[in-house]
Order: sequence, then structure tokens, then C-alpha cells
Amino acid sequence: MTVAGNGSENRGGGAPLVRKLVLGALGVLLLVTSGLSFYRHRHLEEPVVLSDGVTEVKKLSDYFDGIRGTVNDCNVYFFEGAEPGATMFVMGGTHPEEPAARLAAWLIAENAVMEQGRLIVVLSGNRSATTVTRLGGAYPPDFAIPTDWGAQTFRLGDRWSNPLDQWPDPEVYIHYPSRQYLAYVDARNLNRTWPGRPDGTLTERTTYALLELIRRENVDIFIDLHEAELQYPVISTIVTHERGEELAIFVSMMLSDEEFNIGTEYSPKNLHGLSHREVGDASQAISLLFEAPEPFLDATRGRTTREQLLTGIDEFVMKAGEHGLLFEHIDESGWPIDVRVGRHTSTVLQTMEAWTELYPDRPLSCRGVPRYAEVIAEGLGHWLHDPSEAAPGRLVTE
Amino acid sequence: MTAYAGLVLAVMVVVYIAAKLFKLSTELAMFAAALGGALAGGFGLPARHIAEGAMTYLDINLIFITATLFMNILKEAGGIAFVVRRIIGRFHRSRALLFVLLTVLLLVPGALTGAGSVTVLITGGLVAIVLQTMGISRVRTVAIVFIIAGLSAAAPPVSLWAMLTAAGVNMPYIGFFMPLLVPCVVAALFTIFFLGRRSGEIDLEKALQELPAPPQGMSWLRVAFPFVVFVLLIVIGRVWPHDTPVVGLPLMFLCAAAASYALSPIRLDFLRISRETIEQLLPLIGTLTCVGVLVQIMTLTGVRGLLAVTTVTLSVTLVFATLFIVLPVSEAVLMWGAAPVIGVPLVLLFNTMGLNPIVALAGMSVIWPLGDALPPTAIIGRLTVDVVGYKDAYTRFLKSCIVPAVFIMIIGTLMVIFSSELSFLTGL
Repeated sequence: MTVAGNGSENRGGGAPLVRKLVLGALGVLLLVTSGLSFYRHRHLEEPVVLSDGVTEVKKLSDYFDGIRGTVNDCNVYFFEGAEPGATMFVMGGTHPEEPAARLAAWLIAENAVMEQGRLIVVLSGNRSATTVTRLGGAYPPDFAIPTDWGAQTFRLGDRWSNPLDQWPDPEVYIHYPSRQYLAYVDARNLNRTWPGRPDGTLTERTTYALLELIRRENVDIFIDLHEAELQYPVISTIVTHERGEELAIFVSMMLSDEEFNIGTEYSPKNLHGLSHREVGDASQAISLLFEAPEPFLDATRGRTTREQLLTGIDEFVMKAGEHGLLFEHIDESGWPIDVRVGRHTSTVLQTMEAWTELYPDRPLSCRGVPRYAEVIAEGLGHWLHDPSEAAPGRLVTE
Repeated sequence: MTAYAGLVLAVMVVVYIAAKLFKLSTELAMFAAALGGALAGGFGLPARHIAEGAMTYLDINLIFITATLFMNILKEAGGIAFVVRRIIGRFHRSRALLFVLLTVLLLVPGALTGAGSVTVLITGGLVAIVLQTMGISRVRTVAIVFIIAGLSAAAPPVSLWAMLTAAGVNMPYIGFFMPLLVPCVVAALFTIFFLGRRSGEIDLEKALQELPAPPQGMSWLRVAFPFVVFVLLIVIGRVWPHDTPVVGLPLMFLCAAAASYALSPIRLDFLRISRETIEQLLPLIGTLTCVGVLVQIMTLTGVRGLLAVTTVTLSVTLVFATLFIVLPVSEAVLMWGAAPVIGVPLVLLFNTMGLNPIVALAGMSVIWPLGDALPPTAIIGRLTVDVVGYKDAYTRFLKSCIVPAVFIMIIGTLMVIFSSELSFLTGL
């Protein structure tokens, strides 16, 4: 007696050979077609035309050899200012399903010129997670941003490292060093594995390397860029470690007064593995995390398309909002990618200004990076440069 | 958007019904519905989405396969028959204690594997023999085995309904142990005591005659050691998580299976047992694979969003009042697909209402298995009928399930409504 005898009315050993061959051929076709798509996604090269302000490009493995040669050995861009000052580190790509975070970092990498202080930028904090899309999530593998010279294609990723790079998941994920129990899948979540450990999983080794970078480069402010679904209460806000409260409140007040509303949240002391808690606890840096709204992540979203990803327009999410189920407003104009990226670039720039006011002896100032209104007016593609016209040695890939 | 997603949903429903009318299995009908939905939605035949959806539950499938392999090796080695015979030999004079121990025997295989069918196949037949020698009618025996097998699938540590729904709302599968264990144990005990209330003392001689004899040399140590290996691997991973390699549940079950194989007093044909395990699980693996494809296409086309937004904007009273129908019926149609399709929006709704999502989901998980006796799928119901050898009308079996089923529906619904008050069960 087997389940097969009951559960499947049409199963049996007498299937004609032709039917088996046809089904087998269809299976192979599916395998090849989907396999090509997965391969192209994982190996899509994303060009970065270095800003004149980029003074050096290092690899993350320069700070910890344990990730050399792995998929997460990402580029680290350095912008040395003309005058001395503080050091700020801006990171996109912690969760590559949140494209505004990576794109905002991209605009900085292609446009920023530091006048005072030093800037460090990472575009793909968890590069492994940029090579996979959410199982069951129906994400498009990539998306294109229209520019003045054509369209530039970027990988869309997932919240978690690619299982091809880190598998299996543990029965339960126990965070190091707090021993807090977290969901097993979060063993592959870069924002649950801080401060990392040198002999841990790929994701833990990545956060360990990033923290080594923060320590050895004497980073003063670490900014982790994110996006969030509108049903998530921590949205349109700056989450700050307690050492960054004054700075975050200052930034929030200035932006809310002059550009857009943004709140401030304090990093919970008993929630471990997140950058705003662990980086602040384990290093000299003030740790901040910025959240912008992304309706694409909402479970009530309608069609899962590139258009929805980039416009943030969604009738179903709006309906959920009408019933008071959201923590951020949404209307017919949605949340376009330009708005989301502009929020991040302005918040980064405002943080530099606020820091300089609070610590004038260690200033930070930057030019070339567009603010909120400029990104919306021109479109973010306006600030992406044509790779074919990049000067020799000024083009790298992510 | 509503009209578009509604149309795609209608096409999916029509294709599913048509496929069932053409006698396709439930998993293939779901696959056909997914393809129909993708075509109707204007996405053609999206190979990437089909492949990606099919992989959604790969890890769960692996747990399923390795856990069932472990159980099958233990059964083939004579371990299960040994335990059943020893239990009735030792406790045949105490009906109540015997009922409790038989309930445990029925709960363990499904709790470890997440599949009620495994309970039916591993211990269901043997327990049925014992129950009938206690004078319980065959129809009531079928009902007892079916209901407790369903509860075993919902019981921790592996409850697929809870796992699939939790994954759909990015909720950690943590804190579910007691919220799942308590109602499953209470309902299982109620079922066996209620349906077995007119039983007499066991006819020990007859029972021992009918039960298969374990091979010479089988002992408690040989039965218990593989479980010790499994528990030890979990404990080691939890006590020294940063000093031991990540093993993962499938490999833990494989280690337990290897221990059981090595300790078997008789030589086992490993390849045959493996092959039979896969054959046994193929419909269930197929279902999970096709559910993944279906959910992926529903998400792609906005049908999942339509169901989600419709559910979260429904009147709360209506939701509470219809849970006991909606959950079993969705299970009967979609099997585990009901969890990501219906469970996810319901948990979102409960969460926004301020209810405890873990306890509420546990309550729902207890109700879902009742649908496994209902057409069009009725997999576990029909399997139980066959294993116990019940030849009478299927509706008589369904009728005998009514009282325990109502009891379970009440428990589950109350757990949802009072989930906040019961949040202490999560231990979080």
C-alpha cells in the first residue's frame, strides 16, 4: 500500500513511450530555458563609471582574507577629500531586493567628489544575494533604468544570500555572539549576521570583513541603506544606534523641514544581528540605517513586474492603505524609484552637513551627488554615466 | 487591476476543475492551473518562474524524504512492531494508559515528518489492529487513525502548514512548539477517548497473533538509539552552534536513518526501502513542487495580492465565523497550497489586528488537516480507509469523524480569537 495508489489517479507504469519522451523533452526544454535565465542573472555585469572623486578601489578581502575569491568579495570605493575630516561609509546592497539602496550608492560612486573628509562606498554589501531572486516571489531577474545614453540594466536580488553559496540552513539560526534565536533562513541575511565571525558562514564572514573595514579605516559614521514594505512599521525613517541619536534627530528635523518627512527610531538593545545595533556596539562608528518605502515588497501587491518595482504604483497596496493597514501613505502616484533614491541621497548628504555642524573640527562635505528634488526632476538615470565613454581605468563592474 | 487579477483567478479555477474532470491528479491539476494563469495573465509560459516556483519548497521536500526514510527503515527493521507489542503486553490491563501510549505512537511519525500519511503508513495499521482487538468498530478505528494522523502532521517540530505560512510572511518558525503541541495532544486524546469510549479490555492473545512479530534481537536500545542520534545532533547544534558545522535537518534525519539501519537485527535492502520511500512520497513531493509553481504564478499575476487584499479587508467577524469551513475546504482543494494561498493573507490580517500571529497560525494549522478527508483530494482519508481495511461507505467514516472534528474546529478557532491571551505559549 502506498500513497501513490491513492493520491494520483492518473499515475501508472503503462505510460506510452511517446508520452514519456514528449514530457522528458519538455522537461529538458524547461531546464535549458530557465537555466540560461538563471546563468545570465548570476553573471550579469553591472558597469560602474568611477566618479572623478574615486581615489582608490579596493576589494573587501583586503580587510579579511577569509572571503577572498568568494562571490562576496565586493568592490570598496574610496573618495579621499581635498581637505582632512571625518570618514563616512555608505553601504547599499545589504538586501538586494531593495533596489533604491543600491542605486543611491551607485549615484554616489559615479558622481561624488569629496571636498572635506573621506567617503567609503560599497554597492553590493551581500553580492551573493544579488545573484538570486526570491523563491515564490516571482521577482524579475533584473531591471533597466533609462539614462541619457540608453538604459542600464541592474540585477534584482533577494533578502538572503544565494543558497548556491551558503547551504544548508541550520535547524535554527543562533546569532553570534549573543546566542539569540532567529529564523533559520536569517543565517543568510546580512542584516542579521553582524558583527560576524572569521570562521563562520559566508554571510557571517562578510559582515566580519565589513566590520574589519570599519575598524581599520576608522569609520566615524556607517550608513546602511534599505527599503521596506509599507506594511512594515519601521519605514521612512532613520534607525540609529544610541551614539547617533543627536545626529539622526538633527538630520530628521532638517529633512522633514526642507525636503520630505523622515522619522527617527532607536535601535532596540535586545534585537541582535542588525547593523544599527552591532556596528555601533562593536566599533567606534556611529551606525545608522535608512529606510525608504518600497510597495514592491508588500504581500498585498498586484502584478509582480519591473514596472511595479520602478513606479511603486499598486492598486491593491493602495486599497490596504485605505483600510488603515499601512504605516506609510500611498496614492495613485505610487513610490517611484527616483523618489526613493532621492530620499537616500539627500539623507546621506544631510547627514554629512549635520555631522559637520556637530563636529566642525572633523568636517564632511561632498559635491556632485544630486539631492532629492534633483533626482526627481532629472530622473536618476541622468546621473548614471555611459560606460562606453569612461576614461581608461575608470570603469569597473559589480 | 482587480478585474485583471479576478480574470486570471477565474481562468486558474476553470483550468483546475477541467483538469480534475479529465482525471488528472491534484498536483498536475495545480500545475495546469498555474500555466493557465500565466497564459491568461499575458506572461506566456515563463520558464524561469516555473523552475523557481518548483524549487520553493525544496528544503521541506528534503526533510520530508529523509524523515520518512528514517521511519520506513525503523519499521522494516521491526522496531515499530516491537514497540506496539511491548506496549500492549505491558499495559493491556489499563485501557486509559494504553490509549495514551497509542496516541503517542500515532503522533510521533507525523510530528517528525510533517506528513499524516507517514503516520498512517508507519504506525496506523498496527495501532488499528490493537484498537479493533479492544472491541472498537472498524469505522471508529479509521476515524481515530485519520484524525490523529492529521493532528500528528500539525504537531511540532515539523508542521508544514505553519512553516509554509510563516515563510510567506517572513515570520521566523520559532515559538510554535507549545502552541502546536498543546492543541494536538488535547485533541488527539479527546478523539481516542471519545471514539473508543465503548471499548472493552484488549484481547491480548488475539492482538499478539495479528500483529507482525519483530525479528529476534530487536530491543528498546535498537529502537531508541536512532532517536537519540537525532536529538543529539539538534542539541549539539543548539549548545555549540558556533563550534560545529551546519548540518541541516535533512542530514540529521539521514544520520538517524543510518543508525537505525546499522542497528537493525536483520539485513535490510536499503535501495528497496529508499525506492519505496520515494514512490510513497511522490504525490506529496509533487504536490509541494506544484504548489510552489502555483504560488509563484499567483504572485506574478497579482492573484495572490487580490486574495491577500480581499482577505485583509474582510469583516473580522466573518473571518472568525468561517475559519472552520474555509480552512478544511481550502486544504481539500489545494492541500498544502492552502497555507501560502489562504494562510498568508489571514496571518497578515491577524497581525494587523494585533492578534498573536504565532498562536493564531498554530490554531489554523490544527484545523487544516481535517480537509484531508474531503474530496476532491481526500488523500489521507482514503489512505487510512485502505490501510485499516475499511470496506463500508466513505460517508459513514466521515460521519464518525464529526464530533472530534467539531472539537478541533472549536479549539482552533478559539486559539485564533484568543491568540493574544495565549501568547505565553510561544515562550517568546
